[in-house]
Amino acid sequence: MNQLTLIWIALPFLLGFIIYLLPRLTRPLTLLAVFFSLGYGLALGTVTTPVSLRLLDHFGVSLFLDGLTSFFIVTNALVTMAVVLTVWESEQTPFFFAQLLILHGSVNVALASTDWISLYVALEVVGIAAFLLIAYPGTERVIWVGLRYLLVSNIAMLFYLVGAVLVYESHHGFDFVGLRVAPPEAVALLLLGLLVKGGIFVLGFWLPMTHASAAAPVSALLSGVVVKAAVLPLVRVALLVPAVEPIIRLLGVGTALLGVGYALFERDVKRMLAWSTTSQMGFILAAPEVGGFYALTHGLVKAALFLGAGQLPSRDLTELQQRGIPRYLGIPLGLASFSISGFPLLAGFGAKVLTMQNLRPWQEWAMTGAAVGTATIYAGVFFLPWTQAETRLPRGLGWGLGLLLGGLWVANGVYYEAFTVANVIKPLVIIGVGWGLYWGIVRRLREHLPAFGEQLEHLLGMMSVGLVVLFGLAWGW
Amino acid sequence: MVILEAGVFATILVGFLGTLFKGNLIMKIMAMDVMSTGVIAYYVVVAAKGGVFTPIWLPGRAVAYADPVPQAVILTAIVIGLSIQALMLVGVMKLSRYYPTLAVRDIELKNSP
Repeated sequence: MNQLTLIWIALPFLLGFIIYLLPRLTRPLTLLAVFFSLGYGLALGTVTTPVSLRLLDHFGVSLFLDGLTSFFIVTNALVTMAVVLTVWESEQTPFFFAQLLILHGSVNVALASTDWISLYVALEVVGIAAFLLIAYPGTERVIWVGLRYLLVSNIAMLFYLVGAVLVYESHHGFDFVGLRVAPPEAVALLLLGLLVKGGIFVLGFWLPMTHASAAAPVSALLSGVVVKAAVLPLVRVALLVPAVEPIIRLLGVGTALLGVGYALFERDVKRMLAWSTTSQMGFILAAPEVGGFYALTHGLVKAALFLGAGQLPSRDLTELQQRGIPRYLGIPLGLASFSISGFPLLAGFGAKVLTMQNLRPWQEWAMTGAAVGTATIYAGVFFLPWTQAETRLPRGLGWGLGLLLGGLWVANGVYYEAFTVANVIKPLVIIGVGWGLYWGIVRRLREHLPAFGEQLEHLLGMMSVGLVVLFGLAWGW
Repeated sequence: MVILEAGVFATILVGFLGTLFKGNLIMKIMAMDVMSTGVIAYYVVVAAKGGVFTPIWLPGRAVAYADPVPQAVILTAIVIGLSIQALMLVGVMKLSRYYPTLAVRDIELKNSP
C-alpha cells in the first residue's frame, strides 16, 4: 500500500506534464490518472490499518491516509471524472486538461499530508491551478475574479506560514499534532489560512463570486473538491487537537446558518449554489468525525448541480420559474436537490442522519434549522416547471451526470443502517417544513442582501478581524 | 534579537496594511510581496535563535550553528511566492488593457456580484 500511495501521488503530475509532450493523448491520459485515483481511494476504504508515511527523516513530509481520507479521495476522483467526461467533446486545449490533472493531483496531496509545510505547498499549487482554470476563458471578468481569489488566498497563506513556524518553535517539527503544544497565536494564524482557503464563515465571502463566475465545469470542480482541500485538514486538526475541536464545531454551525441565510435571498442560480456550498462546508465541520461521508455526498451533488446549471437557459431563478427548464435537465437537478435536502433513498439522507447523530446538544437546534433552510433553498430548484425540449442533453454531460447520480445511489450502502422508521420520519418532516416555508414566504421574496462584504478590501479587512476573534477563541478555550 | 523580531513583524504589518489601503492593483501586489518578505525574514530570525553560524557541519568544529530546517522550508515558500507573484503580474497585464488605471474601485464597480 505504501508504494501504491507514492505512485498515486506522483501519477497525476507525471501524466499532466506528459500531456504537453503528447497532446494527442490528452483525454485518455487524463481519464487514466483519474481512474487510478478512484481505484486507490476505493482500495483505501477497505484497508483497516491506516497508511502512515514519513519521507526524509524527522522533519520531512508526513502523510497519513485512513478511511476518512478515502471519502475525500473518492469525491475528488468522481467529480474530476464527471468534469472530464463533460468537456470530453469540447474544444478545450491540452493546457486545460493538464491543469485539470495538476489540480486533481495537488488536491490529493493536500488531502494526504499531515504536516503544515506539505499542506502549505499543496494548497498553493491548488490555488495556482484553480486560478489558471478560472481564468481560462480569458475575459476581463474571469481574470479579475481569478486575481482576487489568488490575492486573498495568498495573503491568508502568508499568515498561515507565520503560524507554521510558531508550531515549529514549540514542537520542533511541523506535524499537525504540534498544535497541541503551540501557543494560541499559532492556532489563530493557521486556522485563518485554512478557513479562508475553505471558504468558512465570514472569511469565505470571496467564494460566491468566484464559483459563480467560472465556467460550469470549473465551478463544479471548485465547489465539489477544491474547498475540501482545506476542509479536511480542519477536520483532521479538530480530531487530533482536543482544544481546537469546539472552535471548529462552532464555526461549522455559524457557516451552515450564514450560507443558508444568504442563499435564501439569492435569485441567481449559480450564486445560490455557491452560498449553499458554504453552508454545506458548515455541516462537514459541525460533526468532524463523520465529515467524510458528508463531503462525498455533497461533492457529488454539487458537481451535478453546477454542471446542470451550466446548461440552463437563464441564471435568474424568477425568469426560470416563468419559462421553465427542459425536462432532461429537470430530472437530474431534481434528484440532486432531493439528495442534498436529505430525502431517503439517496446518499444525502444517510450523510445527514449520521451528521445529526454526532452533534453536540448545543448544536442540534441550529443545525436542524440549517437543514430546513437547505430544503427551502432546493425547493426553488425542484419546483421549477419542466418543458418539452427540442434539443437533447449533450452526450458528455449525460455521462457525467449519470456518474455523479449513480455514485449517490451506490453510496447509500455506506450507511444503510440509517433506514429505520425514526430516522426516515425526521428528514421528511424537515423537508415538509422547508417546502412549506418556500411556498409560503421565500418564493415571494424580492429583497437582496447587501453584497459589500464581497469587495476586495472588505475581504482583506475581515482577515484582520478574524485573526483577533480566532485568537480570542483559541486563548479562551 | 528582540528589536530584529519587532522589525520583522513591523514589515509584515506594513505589507498587510498596504494590501488594505493601496487603491491600485499593482501596489496591492507589491504590498503583498513586502508582507511575504517579512514572513521570510521571520523564518530566518527563528533559524538564528540558537546561533548564526552557517549550518555546514565539519568534524571538530564546535560552534553555535543556525537551525537549517526553517531555512530549508522557507526556500520552498520563496519559490512559490515568486511564481504566484509572476502569475498575478501577468494577469494584471491582461487586465490593464481593459482598465488602464488598474484602480481596484473601478474594476469592482464594473464587476460587482
